[in-house]
Amino acid sequence: MSITERGSQGARATTAEHETGRTKVSSVWSRLQLQNGIVYLGFIAIFIFFAVMLHDDGFLTTRNLTNIVLQTAPATIMAIGLVFALSAGEIDLSFGSTTAVAALCAAMAMQTMPALVGVFAGLGVGIAIGAFNGAMVAWLKLPSFLVTLATMGLFAGVARTLTDLRSIPVINDTFTGMFGSGDLFGVPSLVWWTIGAVAAGHIIFRHTPFGAHVLATGDNPRAAQVSGIKVPRIRFLVLTICGACAGLAGLLYAGRLQAAKYTLGESDLMIVIAAVIVGGTALNGGKGAIIGALVGSLLMGMLNNGLILMGLGVSDQMIVRGLIILLAVAISLRDINR
Amino acid sequence: MKTLPGIFAATVAAVALTTSFAWSETIGPSGETATPSTEVAVSDETAAKLRDGGHTAALLWHDQSDFVNAVTAGATDEFERLGIEVVATTSAGFDAAKQRSDIETALTRGPDIILSLPLDPVTSAAAFEEAKEAGVALVFLSNLPQGYEHPADYAAIVTDDLFDMGKRAADALAEAIGGEGTVGWIFHDASYYVTNQRDNAFKTTIENDHPNIQIVAEQGISDPARAEEIANAMLLQNPDLSGIYVTWAGPAEGVLAALRANDNETTKIVTLDLSEPIALDMVGGGNVAAIVADEAYELGRAMAAAGARALAGQETPSFVVAPALTVTADTVEEGWMESLRIEAPASLRGN
Repeated sequence: MSITERGSQGARATTAEHETGRTKVSSVWSRLQLQNGIVYLGFIAIFIFFAVMLHDDGFLTTRNLTNIVLQTAPATIMAIGLVFALSAGEIDLSFGSTTAVAALCAAMAMQTMPALVGVFAGLGVGIAIGAFNGAMVAWLKLPSFLVTLATMGLFAGVARTLTDLRSIPVINDTFTGMFGSGDLFGVPSLVWWTIGAVAAGHIIFRHTPFGAHVLATGDNPRAAQVSGIKVPRIRFLVLTICGACAGLAGLLYAGRLQAAKYTLGESDLMIVIAAVIVGGTALNGGKGAIIGALVGSLLMGMLNNGLILMGLGVSDQMIVRGLIILLAVAISLRDINR
Repeated sequence: MKTLPGIFAATVAAVALTTSFAWSETIGPSGETATPSTEVAVSDETAAKLRDGGHTAALLWHDQSDFVNAVTAGATDEFERLGIEVVATTSAGFDAAKQRSDIETALTRGPDIILSLPLDPVTSAAAFEEAKEAGVALVFLSNLPQGYEHPADYAAIVTDDLFDMGKRAADALAEAIGGEGTVGWIFHDASYYVTNQRDNAFKTTIENDHPNIQIVAEQGISDPARAEEIANAMLLQNPDLSGIYVTWAGPAEGVLAALRANDNETTKIVTLDLSEPIALDMVGGGNVAAIVADEAYELGRAMAAAGARALAGQETPSFVVAPALTVTADTVEEGWMESLRIEAPASLRGN
């Protein structure tokens, strides 16, 4: 990929905006490249650090590196959805709760019905919640932060009520194979899902008019509207995509744990936001990076993994992880969002 | 346990900080009979053999707290005595997915023993599968993954004497309210083995051993943040409550806030697990009458010993319980040390 997937694409919406955007972009383009490059270099530097420090402790084993990808797969999928939302100038805080509801619905459906029904149930619930958020934001003109803050609590409650706080086992081998423990050509299914989702997200984001419209909406919604982009529709769709990604993440969690629980996804909110920001997506819209989100998510997983393998105490792990994320975010956001 | 109520009440009053021998009433997740933790030990001879083995262990906890720190300290000290190196320590933050990730990551270091609290019997069954298949000696705290069998799949479950904790809470509350009156029962409204046993033991003891005390209000709680409003509603409907049992210290803080807001200085609270705000009210002569705690350090020591015995090829009991203790205003400093192996917070000392 090119190092940055920058928000200047949004300026394509109108000639005037295009020119303005181009001027802006040309003035910061080299700096953006440098900044994003630093993030990727930072990822490599941390990888090399752990590889050297933990070379006797199994960090570089295929199993451990695969584990990092497997462990981060649901967060990566959620991050892809969030890139779309943030790039359009919106945010979704409810994807964790959506993930739990989707996983529970899928698990409940599969207690009596085939795997395919469970998949449709999980994805359908995710899409429906995303569409609900999107409709509130797009057509009722409510701020996405407040809408999704409310639905985060709402669906966290729904997740608890659905099963009366019980965990639901998933014993459907077809499902757990597809979304959890299975593999294809020796590659774990979760890796395939990660590759597929990142590829699809990247293509849609970078190589379709829809992706350009998302960026244009996030960069300058008024200009985008004037240029003919249906801004409410874009807002609706990005939040629906967020919901769909959360639904898929719920399926991956259910497959991986062979069970669903109301807490699934709840603790991912901050990790996913950090991964997306570290990966080069702007908090205030107009700039996003799917591959960057993948790298950000892997970085979070690698930090968890490496710090545990180093034998640090839990509190020390939290401190070091926080400092590294702070540094990475500072590098990613420096000057861009001012 | 079939002790005489009168004798027990007198015991609580006279010796607030005592250890329990009521093993027979706490039953394991699969109906196992309890073995006292003091019976789980590694001999010096076995320790000498283990020291030369270069063995390692991982501590994969569910969360961080004073309780977990004390369990960790007990386990670490015992492992140190046995020459077993702790190579990984994690906290899942009550997240089942992170617990699975933590297990996978820790397995990279190839530990011989894993000590852990499975968050949930259902979700943890798959999570520990890889460790089980790798032949790691698994010692669980308070919970058992579904379908796991002893001794093939795990070395031991170690937990508190849960029934005794609930019974001690009932007896302490009975003592505090003079053996008669009405009480409220705030229980953990979730299917969780530990809290369910403790809560039910309180109720059973009140019903069986204290005939002049009636439970007139019952309310489940799953979110500790809602404790204050639950207590407010309970007090509104039962303004003359003599006492309230609260399932653990977190929600008890909310109940205490509700009593204070209502200028209620007469309703007594008894709860489980040590908490500084709760203990501060207790030493100040407030609503809190007693706190029932567990010997967390001993839990950790017993877990490490069980893992080491399994590693040495020795038999381990399937279900082990550590003693409980009742802490009152007079015994708060000793109680803190006994339970957590740390000094009581400064605000509680010298009262």
